[in-house]
Amino acid sequence: MKLRILLADDHELIRRGLCALLQKREGWEVCGEASDGRQTIEMAKQLKPDVVIVDIGMPHLNGLDTTRQLLQYDPNFKVIVLTITDSDQVIREALDAGARGFVLKSDAARDLVAAVEALQNKRMFFTPRVNDLVLAGFLEKGHALSRNEAPDLPTLTAREREVTQLLAEGKTSKEVAVLLNLSTKTVETHRSNIMRKLNLHSIRDLVVYAIKNNIIQIQMPELRSTPETTVA
Amino acid sequence: MAVRILLVDDHPIVRQGLRTLLEGRSGWQVVGEASDGIEALDKVDALQPDVVVLDVTMPRMNGLEACRLIQQKRKTSGLEVLFVTQHDSPQMMREALDAGARGYVVKSNAARDLLEAVEAVSQHQVFTALARSPQASC
Repeated sequence: MKLRILLADDHELIRRGLCALLQKREGWEVCGEASDGRQTIEMAKQLKPDVVIVDIGMPHLNGLDTTRQLLQYDPNFKVIVLTITDSDQVIREALDAGARGFVLKSDAARDLVAAVEALQNKRMFFTPRVNDLVLAGFLEKGHALSRNEAPDLPTLTAREREVTQLLAEGKTSKEVAVLLNLSTKTVETHRSNIMRKLNLHSIRDLVVYAIKNNIIQIQMPELRSTPETTVA
Repeated sequence: MAVRILLVDDHPIVRQGLRTLLEGRSGWQVVGEASDGIEALDKVDALQPDVVVLDVTMPRMNGLEACRLIQQKRKTSGLEVLFVTQHDSPQMMREALDAGARGYVVKSNAARDLLEAVEAVSQHQVFTALARSPQASC
């Protein structure tokens, strides 16, 4: 029986490259492609893939929140997160969200097949930098570095994070309401709660918050491939 | 019409995606790949492509510098450069055209624009498309 993989990335060019890479492997099949987080969840529920590969920076619902929602729906989903950055915060959030694999996009041609293989064999796969963090004890119970760094940061609910992303992407409350199948009034209530919880005073503040907390990602113009010397 | 294409991008997955899009076209052949501007110049000499599909941001030598150097070869070979880049910016597009490129498309719309862009550029027509609507002009 073939290993079925669902691919989620908002760039068709990247999906085509990943698809070509994965389908060279005998016994593997890309059973579906999604271009945003919401579509990913719908397709995963329908297709029940063995592995879901999720880009972090997707519109409407980012990859981290997609991972959380997938695993809330069914903890048996195996998710590999693809990202352009391996900052401490992104790594922690991906692990906290329940991802079993973490691969840099710049290294996908080298690492993604190994990552899928690992998940196929019920193992996890992370880039060397993540392994370093694990060894340093970031995931030990009670170490909770992210909580220690900002103990007083209020927590947004899953729905509030969804609304935050959509507003930060430039959508109006009405557009958010349509996307989330809510009333405009409900979206406005969520918006007020978000602004109050986070002590924000404008949409600009909200955008800055969303970027800092990886709810949306901005691709930096000078981003380069990770030099080979830094990858073990 | 046969078109020989050199792909230049520092991300192998992007090159694979471009190849998949291009190789579906009868008569078009991806003759080689390069991962930075310096390698691109070597491959242009060795492979004599008709079109170089070029990224902007790359290590060692970026696409704009490579394009300027490639243009020195263009006068004798008819070689054209098409930028395929993440920079959805009129300013960057102007810089690319000033560097001698014949085409400029944005990666997020590559699936929509790439084939038409290569077709136009291979016939020495300008093709530019930011993340709005494509424009082709002779």
